[in-house]
Amino acid sequence: MSIITEAAEFDYGKTPRGGGLWPFWRKSYADADPLPELKCEVSRPDHEFDDGDELPDEYRLLLGKMLRHEGERAGNKSFLGLMGVCAEIAEVFIPAEYRLVKAEYIAEELKHAIMFHRIAVGFQTDFALQDVPYAHYAFHLPRESWADDALFHFFVDLNGAFHARDWRESSYVPLRKIAHTIERDELGHSEMGYFFLGEILGTARGRRLVQALLPKWYAAALDMFGRSDSPNTPKFIQWGLKAISNAEIRAAYKEYVDRKLGALGLDLPDERHGRRFL
Amino acid sequence: MTQTTQRHENEILAEARKAYAEFGIELAEAATYGVYMRLRCARCGATVGSMGDRVLPGLVPALLADNFDLYAAGLLGCRCGYQAERARALDPARAQKANAGA
Repeated sequence: MSIITEAAEFDYGKTPRGGGLWPFWRKSYADADPLPELKCEVSRPDHEFDDGDELPDEYRLLLGKMLRHEGERAGNKSFLGLMGVCAEIAEVFIPAEYRLVKAEYIAEELKHAIMFHRIAVGFQTDFALQDVPYAHYAFHLPRESWADDALFHFFVDLNGAFHARDWRESSYVPLRKIAHTIERDELGHSEMGYFFLGEILGTARGRRLVQALLPKWYAAALDMFGRSDSPNTPKFIQWGLKAISNAEIRAAYKEYVDRKLGALGLDLPDERHGRRFL
Repeated sequence: MTQTTQRHENEILAEARKAYAEFGIELAEAATYGVYMRLRCARCGATVGSMGDRVLPGLVPALLADNFDLYAAGLLGCRCGYQAERARALDPARAQKANAGA
């Protein structure tokens, strides 16, 4: 796991972060890769493009789509707004002893905003300044409790970790370079949500609340990987921007979250209940 | 944003506003650039959550129907108890059952 620890870009320092809990990824990567390998099994050309290279039209279009979905950019006002909402949610719902943990989360997402800003400028300067609200409804679901917030982070940040895992072999060099850091951090954010879930489940009322809210987030999380029959998927794979299909990455994700939720003693929702994008 | 998209989003927000009003929750001012909005208790004005403006049509009413028991049992909603009161007013029998399981 040296590649993960080497990806650290700064020292966390001697002062314990988030009450000593941060970063959550450290424990997850201590023994092995926590996420499954997402290996491309189809034959495809060997492409590689770097910052400043002339990009083929279709490649530019697909990469642009991908970067628009990845909203963590300094120039994306909506993303900065989402961070403001996260800070406010921490004030309203999260016990005081864990607010510094949430602050570490926000700090790390803002670090990503710098990283993706630089990628955006290299890709297309005017894109770097565009406000692109998250299109997927998972980012817009109501959050009315600490349990909602914990489920949001467990599921939604984990989606980001899986996509970053996929970028380890990306044909776009700038994405490949940041893949390890983003994957590691997003996995840590998901583990923060998982830790919070464990705390909430410590009471009978908390368990009832989490179990009741789980179907809402489970369905949205599985929907986040898009339609299984998306016509763009083979193009993404052929250009080396993705390694596997939407259905394959969703299945790998589902296996991971089902195992984690089972370990918390939660009943798994029906995987087709409430789904909008099969 | 196109006019069609704008109208679509306004309709979704109107639907969400109506569904939340049933439970005594106001879809209040935009917290950030018009994308994310605070949810406030309609009685005391306390913040009880947030939501974004790109939820899908029909989603918020369906979620709130699913959350009925949580409001009734006080697992969701304001500390002042207004949402639990609203749930009892909407369906006393179901609210009583939800509280029995609390």
